[in-house]
Order: sequence, then structure tokens, then C-alpha cells
Amino acid sequence: MPVIPTLETDRLILRGPSMDDFEPFAAFYASDRAKFVGGPLDKEGSWRMLAMEIGHWMLKGYGRWTVALKDTTEPIGMIGPFCPHGWPEPEIGWDLFNGYEGKGFATEAAVASRDYAYDILGWDTAISLVKYGNDKSAALALRLGAKPDGDFTHDRHGLMQVYRHPAPQELTDGGIEAYS
Amino acid sequence: MPQNIPVIETKRLVLRGPEAEDYPDFKATFTSYRARFMGGPLNAYESWMLYAAEIGHWEIRGYGMWMIHDKITDETYGMAGGWMPAKWPEKELAWVIWPDAAGHGYALEAVDAARRFFYSEREWDTAVSYIDPKNLDSIRLAERLGATKDKTAPTIDGSDAVYRHPSPAELNGTQLAHGIEMEISHYQDPLFKPKGWAID
Repeated sequence: MPVIPTLETDRLILRGPSMDDFEPFAAFYASDRAKFVGGPLDKEGSWRMLAMEIGHWMLKGYGRWTVALKDTTEPIGMIGPFCPHGWPEPEIGWDLFNGYEGKGFATEAAVASRDYAYDILGWDTAISLVKYGNDKSAALALRLGAKPDGDFTHDRHGLMQVYRHPAPQELTDGGIEAYS
Repeated sequence: MPQNIPVIETKRLVLRGPEAEDYPDFKATFTSYRARFMGGPLNAYESWMLYAAEIGHWEIRGYGMWMIHDKITDETYGMAGGWMPAKWPEKELAWVIWPDAAGHGYALEAVDAARRFFYSEREWDTAVSYIDPKNLDSIRLAERLGATKDKTAPTIDGSDAVYRHPSPAELNGTQLAHGIEMEISHYQDPLFKPKGWAID
């Protein structure tokens, strides 16, 4: 199986997901906050979801990382390139675990993920899918410079709004700072 | 992180870890009526998520389900191996055979090989199979593998029957082991095709 790369940002480590992340992952997916991303799930559903996150890396060659705080190593979210069956195109996806909102962590990890998708995976565009009503996620997409680009209806997740990120050359021209 | 998934060879089969190129075969079965005893039929999305989870299971548990390939043609016939997602009371020997590949004893040959592997290489001292009581083909396969209904063992959710496999000692040079070996060898011998046997 391929080795999952590790990324570093100022405050965060992005590393391969593992069962060590199960408790905060399952707590997030059991909570009302997960209603926009396929939850709430019981423990078994969360276990399979986490197993899927790992398998995604093996099937696609990329996937979402567990985002951990550099200082304490505690896992705070699951963020990265994501494209399970039925997605309209590859996206940058983000789940921030309970209790870590409002500190800019998701932005920091999503920027690093998008840079990886553009620089290493060679994507020339990226979207993020946001369920209507998930205002915090939509706000994050906008902060990242993404713009609404139509709707998409998924078999299971239903109607979602497509946000399209700035293309690689737009980020180079303007600099990521322009969007933060 | 990753560990490599071991490869097992039998006379007719090669068991390898699930790969992206095998997914269409998995999807065809799991989105069909054939999957009714395995939590299906699934829609296309659920099927992909389950397939990815099968691979993640290897990483998490260190064992999992192999893809069963024909040794010569490499085509896939189904999956067999060890399975224990959350909520499973204990480690399961599990199997699924694609409908087109049924009736050739592939599941028997693959599960027997998987069980040997877990008993000898991973030091499992027991194993169960959780089977829907209406899944008669699967129950018959469990019985041909020497498993017996364990009415005292905890079930997954009360709707499944637990079949307990013979222990390593019960398979060590015993008449039971020889019987299983003989049945597998009959399937393997083109001049000795068992007729009217269980479909697996």
C-alpha cells in the first residue's frame, strides 16, 4: 500500500488517518454538527467511515488527512482532497472535530491541502461541496477564495452547493494571502 | 503507515488485497440482489464506501478480506478473509462469491486457505461466521468447513446465526481436516467434479 505523506503548517500536522483518531472522529460524526456531511452516525457507522478514509488513499492515491495540533498532537479534524464514488469531480473536503472551531485551523489545513492538490497531484481546478444550511462551511469556502459554481445532487447526500476554488495560477498571481 | 497485504496461493486461486481495478466486480455483486444477506443491495455510493472500508480494515486490524483471483486468468471470483468492524463480537471468517462463479468450490478453497493462514500465521485460536439464517448456501458452506452453530455466542444484532469454526487442534490431522481436504481436491480435479453439491 502507498505511504501517506505528512504535511506541516505553522500550527498543524496533516498525517494519515488511523484508529487512534477514532474517539474524536466518532464524537464528531455522532453529533448534530455532522448532519451536513452524512451524519449523525452510530459508532459502527463511524468506524466504517474512518476505515473508508484510509481505503480512499489506497484506491485514489490521495485522501483526507487527520489534522493534528503540532503542540499537543491531538487530532482536530479530517481535511484534504476527496473524491468518493459519485462525486462530480475531486474536492477539498473538511470536517473540523467538536470544540476546535473559530481558530482558523480548517482554513490553515485546507490551504495546505489545496496547495498539495495543485502542486503534487497536479490538479488544475478544485471544488468543495457544501450542503445548503452549512453556513460555517460556506464561509470557509469563501475565505479560501472559492466562489459558488452551481448545484450538485448526490444519491445519498442530496442537494449540495458547488464552490470552485481559484485555479493554481490565480493563487500564484494574487498570493494565498489575498484570500485569507 | 501501510503494511503489505499477504498473498495466499492455493491450487486454483490466488488471494490478494483488494485493488482499485477489482472494484467493478465487487460493485456488480454488492449492488445486486445477491448482496441481500450482506447488508445489501447497496447503492453505488455505499458500495464504493464499503470497498474502501474493506481496504482500510486491513490497515486498522492487520487482517481483512482478500480478493479471490483465478490463478491462471486472474479474473475475480469473490472475497474471503477475516472481518471485524466495530460492533462485531469477535473475529469473523467471511466470504462472498460472485453469482457467476458459484458452484465450483472456490469459496470452500479460499476460506479454508484463509483459515489456515489465520490459525498458523496469526495465531487465531478460534473464529466464527455470522450468517443470515435464510442464507442456506452460506450455512451449508460453514458446515462443510466443519463449523457448527454456536447458540451461546453473542450475535451482531440478534438477526444472525453464529457458526463456530473448528479450533486449530480440531483441524490438525483429524478426520474432519481430511474430509475438507478431500472435498477441495475433488473440486480441483477436472475428472472428479462433485455433482449436486452446495452452491458456493
